[in-house]
Amino acid sequence: MSQPIIDAQNLTAAYGSVTALKGVSLTVEKGEIFGLLGPNGAGKTTLLACVEGLHKPKQGQVHVGGINVQADPAATKRQLGIQLQKTALLDDLTVTELVEVYAALYEVYLTADQINTLLERFDLVEKRNTLARRLSGGQQQRLALAVAIANDPQIVLLDEPTSALDPHARRAVWDNIRQLHDEGRTVVLTTHAMEEAEALCGRIAIIDRGQVVACDTPSALIASLQLNSMLKATVELPLDQVRTLPNVSNARYTGQHLEVETARPEVTLTALHELAARSGRSIRDVMLRQPNLEDVFLKLTGRVLSESN
Amino acid sequence: MKRFLILTKAMLLMHLRNGSVLFWNFAFPILLMLIYGAVMSQYMDYMTPGVIVLNALSFGLVSSSTMMLEMREKSVLRRLQATPLPAGQLIGSYLLVNILIGVLQSTLIILAGVLLYKIPVTGVGLALAYPMILAGLLAFMALGGIISGVSAKAGTATAVGMTVYFSLMFISDMVFPLDMLPAWLRDIVPYLPAYPVVQLVRSAMLDATLDPKWMTHVLLLAVYGIGAALIAARLFRWEPKA
Repeated sequence: MSQPIIDAQNLTAAYGSVTALKGVSLTVEKGEIFGLLGPNGAGKTTLLACVEGLHKPKQGQVHVGGINVQADPAATKRQLGIQLQKTALLDDLTVTELVEVYAALYEVYLTADQINTLLERFDLVEKRNTLARRLSGGQQQRLALAVAIANDPQIVLLDEPTSALDPHARRAVWDNIRQLHDEGRTVVLTTHAMEEAEALCGRIAIIDRGQVVACDTPSALIASLQLNSMLKATVELPLDQVRTLPNVSNARYTGQHLEVETARPEVTLTALHELAARSGRSIRDVMLRQPNLEDVFLKLTGRVLSESN
Repeated sequence: MKRFLILTKAMLLMHLRNGSVLFWNFAFPILLMLIYGAVMSQYMDYMTPGVIVLNALSFGLVSSSTMMLEMREKSVLRRLQATPLPAGQLIGSYLLVNILIGVLQSTLIILAGVLLYKIPVTGVGLALAYPMILAGLLAFMALGGIISGVSAKAGTATAVGMTVYFSLMFISDMVFPLDMLPAWLRDIVPYLPAYPVVQLVRSAMLDATLDPKWMTHVLLLAVYGIGAALIAARLFRWEPKA
């Protein structure tokens, strides 16, 4: 097996007395889309900051492309394309100026044609003379991506690339990220949205409270826990009674929806109907779904990912 | 070098596209000249150098660091730190642009003085005055750098800077002559950073000569400027205080 392109070993990091990472180790292979999935405050951004050479870990080491980040932060930064959580670009510059300036910071000097090609792929050509601060949220996010790859990096680190975007804008950004992958670049992204991690990432590290609790492909993570199917229904029933139904391994409410984990959904559904009839309740919107990363997170941490945010 | 030039051009554009930069640095000083001219037109020879230093002082202590502080607060500096750009080039290009703005500001005030109030300025006078103005700007900007370094937020830095500015403005022989001050204060003022600049610029502009005590003034300014610059460099932060 080839050497991993990012190799973090036993990273411990803190801000003052607050510990952000507790002995994190993980490796990213060349050319993959690697997701850091976890709730806000889990340590995802700090982990990226250690890889970017922006935060000095108290313990442990990171190598990027074979270079020790702490020993040579400048050489590390040259290999990376970066998008921080806040877009944080020079707002009073136009889209074209921004791309030109950020490339130049890497001593990469783009021609007008090269800038145009870059803006085309991020659908920003019409906005090329617009000041960055006048762009919409989705446009700013796409601009942040264009700026991130202006220096043509082989490794791209994206912190929450789609947070606060509407579904349409989010999909556009997903397409852009897939394109980076198709070009052979390695992409590491953080997200607290499990559907994003499932849609984009080849492998995922689930991070919680400064630790990696699991790391694998989404399907392997789901399979490894041997989770049962999830039966979803809109009905009000006491959870302790639902849990005693045949084949039920767990039950909970998310909003109004009852979620029942079961090895044999068809048997459980019949029993659920009988329980509802006895209680004088009616069941609506019955749905069966396969276990997903949300369930993996719950199983591993005892908490619901979307509610942890 | 090419990187530095592109960055400096970007910094310049950002400043020139900023409404408050334009107002406070260019429109406000002219407004001040018009107000002083309306109230005391016969004293404009004395006043014009004072107005130059007064604006250089508020520019150095407050305005010149505002955009840097905003970039720090909005994580723009953090984003720049993530690139291979050396910190020295970032600060160098920022300072260069601000020195340009400061010099342009003084030029506008001189023009207003000459065109509106016919103050007598010779070529030799100007040639002597500009280096003095520049020295003052640099010292004031370095002092402003300390204020930015110790302030958690841009708002705090502005408040601290304005307090220092107003204190110095009234006592440094800019708009009120020194003999209006109580004796004890008169003994201290010459050792404060604004007074030497006023003396140097005024004698250069009006008499086309160096102030009799110019060596003391220049030395004092150098001590302030270099000392403050060293402290400011140590205090420089990429991120706001947590």
